[in-house]
Amino acid sequence: MGLPSAPEVPEEFRVLSMMHNIGAITPERSLTTDELSLWTGIDSATVKTHLQKLRQGGYVEFVQISGIEKYHVTRNGIMKVLTLYS
Amino acid sequence: MRVAMLTWEYPPRIVGGIARHCEGLAKALAKQGHEVHIFTLDFPGAPDYEEQGSIRIYRTRSEVGHPNFLTWVLLFNHFIEKRMADTCKLVDFDVVHVHDWLTAPAAVAFKRFVKKPLVFTAHSTEHGRSGLHVPDSFTIDGFEWWSTYEADKIVVTSGSMKGEVCGHFHVSDSKVEIIPNAVDTGPYEGSVDRGAVRARWGIQPHEKLVLCVGRLVPQKGIEYLLHAVPVLARRRPEAKFVIVGDGWYRDHLEYIANTSGQRWRITFSGFISDWDLIALTKSADVMVVPSIYEPFGIVALEGMAAGVPIVASQIGGLTEFIEHDRTGVFVYPRNPESIAWGIDHILSNYGHAEWLVKNAREIVHKTYSWEAVAKKTAKVYKDVMG
Repeated sequence: MGLPSAPEVPEEFRVLSMMHNIGAITPERSLTTDELSLWTGIDSATVKTHLQKLRQGGYVEFVQISGIEKYHVTRNGIMKVLTLYS
Repeated sequence: MRVAMLTWEYPPRIVGGIARHCEGLAKALAKQGHEVHIFTLDFPGAPDYEEQGSIRIYRTRSEVGHPNFLTWVLLFNHFIEKRMADTCKLVDFDVVHVHDWLTAPAAVAFKRFVKKPLVFTAHSTEHGRSGLHVPDSFTIDGFEWWSTYEADKIVVTSGSMKGEVCGHFHVSDSKVEIIPNAVDTGPYEGSVDRGAVRARWGIQPHEKLVLCVGRLVPQKGIEYLLHAVPVLARRRPEAKFVIVGDGWYRDHLEYIANTSGQRWRITFSGFISDWDLIALTKSADVMVVPSIYEPFGIVALEGMAAGVPIVASQIGGLTEFIEHDRTGVFVYPRNPESIAWGIDHILSNYGHAEWLVKNAREIVHKTYSWEAVAKKTAKVYKDVMG
């Protein structure tokens, strides 16, 4: 049919997947942008951009602890991540 | 019998068909007097330990994580093993049953520790899902081979999957049992206000609702359905499409929809509740299953139970429970023209569609019950226990 070839997994999805795999799936296990940057090896600014997009999709939420924003994967985010592996 | 069942997904942690399969099987086994212990992963809001009659659910949290997927899998297997080791001090299991490779490391270790037989259900293979192109896929393929090797018996849900497992992993035919999937028809028996449900999804009374349900991943073939939208719209301007589900491929699928010139006809719902899904399925005019890889295709069975005519790719397990133009309509996989033809075929022949639905419902009720699956599975357990 000459249809376009499939794209790669988007990078923000890789960030979501890594957040899930390191266990940031509940408010009490949420992580700051800097912590996520260290875990994923992606610079903080890029992580921030991805988190914004993931928040808009409802896949990530943040909590404020002592004025610091910490992020975790939502239930829908977990289910979205798992589609990559099944 | 006391069954230790391992699965990486169990409700409310639902990804694909495995969670529904394990839940249906566990409930039916429990009804037949067996004790089922489910070892699975945690999920926000779900208790770490739960008893549902004679089903016990142990949801295990991985105390240590790692961004790499395979490392994470091995870590959570360690924590499941630990939980199982604690549990087997109190419960004398008769058999270990693992679903797919993801919890196989814990299952194999446990089998050797408690010296009990292992049953492995292969719901799909990495070779079939993604092909073997990257290092992680080779490792997953290795895990799958290892699971088939360690298992005393392998269960698959279709003849097509049996061929795949025997051929790819060089497993002897006699080691593999086919036990098809099933569907709990109860939730589909009630009536819904079709008009109200359709209105909620933006479907006017004169319009036709084409439904597609599945994980938004390449193997579900949804891009081919989206390419069929402009083709069908020329013949059926009243057709509207609702795509239920989510997945890593969603952005790409939305891009195809956005550039089709028909975006207004297409709704991506994301994940929706079970109740909303049942109501939507019962209110649809046709359900399309455009998969390009499908070991079974439980979603088609659910559609058949709900009384919606099915248009499905003639592929894999779908070919084993759908009969063309008797219980559904087959189309060529990866072929938008064919998909558009199939949908039009249903929408153009109301009486014929009704007849297909009647036949499909009969087959589902007669053949695809969890009670039958549990009986066959219990027989496999007895065989391996000797």
